[in-house]
Amino acid sequence: MASIEVRELKKSYGTVVAVDGLSFLVDRGECFGLLGPNGAGKSTTINCVVGALQPDSGQVTIEGETDPTRPSVRMKIGVAPQSIALYEDLTAQENLEFFGKLYGLSGDLLKTRIEMALEFSGLAERRKGRVSTFSGGMQRRLNLVCGILHDPPVILLDEPTAGVDPQSRNLLFDNIEELKRLGRTVVYTTHYMEEAQRLCDRVAIIDQGKILALDTVEGLLRAHKGADLEAVFLHLTGKKLRD
Amino acid sequence: MNAIVTIALKDLRLLARDRAGFFWVLGFPFLMALFFGAISSGGSENRAAMPIAVVDLDRSPYSRAFLSELRKSEALQVREAPMDSARLLVRRGQLVAYVALWPGVGKSMGFGGDSAGIELGLDPSRRAEAGYLRGLVTAATFSTLRGQFTPTGGGREMVRLSLAALESDTTRTRDEKLRATSVLTNLERLMVALDSSEASAGTATDKGASRATSTETAAGPNMRVVDIAEEENGPRNAYEITFPSSVMWAMIGVCMSFAISIVHERIRGTFLRLRLAPISRSQILAGKGLAAFLAALGATTFLLLFAAVVFKVRISNPPALAVALVAAAFCFTGIMMLISVFGRTHSAVAGAGWAVLLIMSMTGGGMIPLIAMPAWMQTVSNFSLVKWGVLAVEGAIWRGFTPQEMALPVGILLAAGVVGFAIGARALSRSES
Repeated sequence: MASIEVRELKKSYGTVVAVDGLSFLVDRGECFGLLGPNGAGKSTTINCVVGALQPDSGQVTIEGETDPTRPSVRMKIGVAPQSIALYEDLTAQENLEFFGKLYGLSGDLLKTRIEMALEFSGLAERRKGRVSTFSGGMQRRLNLVCGILHDPPVILLDEPTAGVDPQSRNLLFDNIEELKRLGRTVVYTTHYMEEAQRLCDRVAIIDQGKILALDTVEGLLRAHKGADLEAVFLHLTGKKLRD
Repeated sequence: MNAIVTIALKDLRLLARDRAGFFWVLGFPFLMALFFGAISSGGSENRAAMPIAVVDLDRSPYSRAFLSELRKSEALQVREAPMDSARLLVRRGQLVAYVALWPGVGKSMGFGGDSAGIELGLDPSRRAEAGYLRGLVTAATFSTLRGQFTPTGGGREMVRLSLAALESDTTRTRDEKLRATSVLTNLERLMVALDSSEASAGTATDKGASRATSTETAAGPNMRVVDIAEEENGPRNAYEITFPSSVMWAMIGVCMSFAISIVHERIRGTFLRLRLAPISRSQILAGKGLAAFLAALGATTFLLLFAAVVFKVRISNPPALAVALVAAAFCFTGIMMLISVFGRTHSAVAGAGWAVLLIMSMTGGGMIPLIAMPAWMQTVSNFSLVKWGVLAVEGAIWRGFTPQEMALPVGILLAAGVVGFAIGARALSRSES
């Protein structure tokens, strides 16, 4: 059964068409990649899916519900935004407490989840440290766990490794693979083909708001006779992923 | 409700950790009040003379001499006034006291029997001035009395009149009349002797007068003190003007800090995270608003408590002050929401916000006190929310506003808060979607 269903999604900013009739399904427990260059429409798609943006047309269904702005649906969604959406002057623990409370967590359950999140992200030792003193990689990991503290079945990660050093990137990959093992549905946007190749069960290559190809990594490589996804993208668009 | 409180507490915690923001909310208004209060007050050695009124109901040579004695005091600024005006001016705090000389005070020279010839009317709460003033009035009484026994004084006239009245008095026996006449005649001789003594040795006379004063002081003039409760509708010191202005600076500081924090959250992405939480948009805005409201209320309450304790700023009507602060905090919370959508960057919001609020402050009494503004500027100030905030706070502190008088500034502040919040929240919602 599909965890996420997107049908004919359209969103424009004035005369600029950001998402142009996008449709795709994401199965439960699947890690689905949205691969495309900057400005391809990945973040707009994510924001429409989670209800942060009102699409011009089209429909989004998450876990069988069609209105992602409803609190009951939002409880099922976890988001790690592209920007590091944390309060720099609060500690790691205070950030987690704050976002946990917004999701209705309290008391022992909140404490347990915070402990798990700190262990999961490898930040237990720095729980009392202010976010402003963290490295980029630590901030990214905290950004991820703040979005999944309430243990949602659907997780959307918008370029979660942007600006992160290789070591922190590997830690994040480990985190995401752990989420896959736990059976969570993950939508992952990136313009790094190696990330998509390593993590995603299926990948949609998008550009200018449209899906150019959608298949498993192996299927894409086979269909487009590419050595890697970069070559596939070049074959499909005539340009490089990071142009 | 929990989500609103959670957001508000988070914002207050962030404000407390933001030293620059905290300075603009509390430090800057505090320094403004201290600085302008200090330069407006001057030192105690430069204290102005106490303004009093003398009500001369006796219209006698004695009362004129008494008035003249009071005028000689550098500690007093004396004016004559009718009784009604004098009482009103004391009640309004424009005079420290009035001194009334009742009819007949000239005959008794301030020491008349059971009925007091001198009435001192002052606010019972001004004990320090009262004691000082009683001393000055007593000194003037003795000085006047002494003057009455000089060749040009009215003392001899009083003796002559008393002798004539004694002559025609049929109620007294012959022996009583003889004894009284003897006393008065000897008194007249004493005055003549004093004249010649004073003419030959002025210093000796001064000593004699000094002894006489000392003796009389034990009994003292017959003076009645009347309590005139001051209406408290005038500032007693400069801090009663500067602290209401500083309250508005604190409101402005809160307004700008939270407006910029909203922009910061939008840029940073935390606002998006808030919007993706299972709470409504109105809860998010209410949480932000509650934090700004509480910060404004807390900062201004601290400022005014400090002013009351350290600078003796009156809080004559605490319930009215609470209403004024709540209304002003609500107003500037609404304005904060409006300013937060003036732009999408820190610099755009900070620039536009400070421009608007500084103009409001300049024209509304945040820099120049309302009572010191020329008439045309007071008219312009009607368009400034700072003016209505200052007026509401001053109304509760020293202007002695009635509930009806408080209604206008409080109503304007509340209405502006509602309009500002509604427009700001709507614009914010539209720009986010």
